[in-house]
Amino acid sequence: MNRRRLLLTGLATLGASTLSPVAAQAAKAQQGLFVHAEPRPLPALDIRDNEGRPAGLDGFRGRPVLMNLWASWCLPCVAELPALDRLKPQIEPEGVAVMALCLDRSGAVGAVNTYARLGIGNLAVHVDYERKAGEVLGVPVLPTTLLVDAAGREVARFVGPAAWDGAEAMTLLRALKAGKPLDPSMAPPLAKPKTNP
Amino acid sequence: MKRLLAALAVLVLTCAAAPAAEVTGRFNLVDQRGNAVSEASYDGKIRLMTFGYTFCPDICPTTLNTMAGTMDLLGDKASEVVPIFVTVDPRRDSVAHLREYVEAFSPTMVGLTGNQEAVDAAAKAFRVRYVLNPPMDANDPNSYFVDHSAGIFIMDRQGRFLAKLGHRSEPDEVAARLMEVLEK
Repeated sequence: MNRRRLLLTGLATLGASTLSPVAAQAAKAQQGLFVHAEPRPLPALDIRDNEGRPAGLDGFRGRPVLMNLWASWCLPCVAELPALDRLKPQIEPEGVAVMALCLDRSGAVGAVNTYARLGIGNLAVHVDYERKAGEVLGVPVLPTTLLVDAAGREVARFVGPAAWDGAEAMTLLRALKAGKPLDPSMAPPLAKPKTNP
Repeated sequence: MKRLLAALAVLVLTCAAAPAAEVTGRFNLVDQRGNAVSEASYDGKIRLMTFGYTFCPDICPTTLNTMAGTMDLLGDKASEVVPIFVTVDPRRDSVAHLREYVEAFSPTMVGLTGNQEAVDAAAKAFRVRYVLNPPMDANDPNSYFVDHSAGIFIMDRQGRFLAKLGHRSEPDEVAARLMEVLEK
């Protein structure tokens, strides 16, 4: 890219951000299942449990993982947690692990309190200890759920809340387990937003 | 190449000053502790500001996390910067609710709300536009979402506009810009 082109691009970007009618906020971000052309190796993350012990993806080595990123201040995330809590005992016997990774800056407190409030009984507490997950995983909106293969690579991600306890999700996760190629048509339905939990 | 990029960044910023000159940065709002505040209340500090609302009904932007992460990266310099979240949804974002919300991100984060007129005026002063959509659930008048301009404003120690960064900026980029401003 030459100098002029770079400058023009920069100006166009600025123009768009300052002049467009209502610049699309994250609410307009595309939601649904995005399957990557190539699996992406996951960057190292310091993930801990509610007592500060390491509780990262290493613990699931050799198993695919559904890794849900959430925060207690994110209402759609909180609304989605019960479905993940129901999914976990259904899919884990089939060899797919379910991890809900809390991005709260207060550490485990937010996760523990939210679990207690919702009556979450199956999901374990996982905390993004260095508070970098959103950045290093390139996640600008929550909830976002990564589908990680048995080799620890992200093969797809679901942006937005999904009905994770339904038949479609089971089919998708069984395909992940079997190492079959995933397809956007395998997406579980977006969870319909309801009144805040 | 790095130098070229830096030079271009300065150029782009200079060019952006024309439309941005209309960003007066004035406001008269109420903070998350119920205090009446204006842009003068933070005199002496650089401000990192964004507009939004807390009741994201389907997905939530991580902009405030980015701002909180930025504050972490500033280290000792963090005391010279105040991160400020301004709601464009004062009907649902009460003082008490905002307090709980912003304090989940950073103990120094400020949340601002006010009556509709005051919020409208603040948004206008930053050239932030927003639109309240009809409720998604006809039985729940509070189930609406809000489209609004995104981005993170950097305002100087007197509350004047310095720069606007995209809402997808990462904490290290925002911190780098702030460090430039702080060292001036």
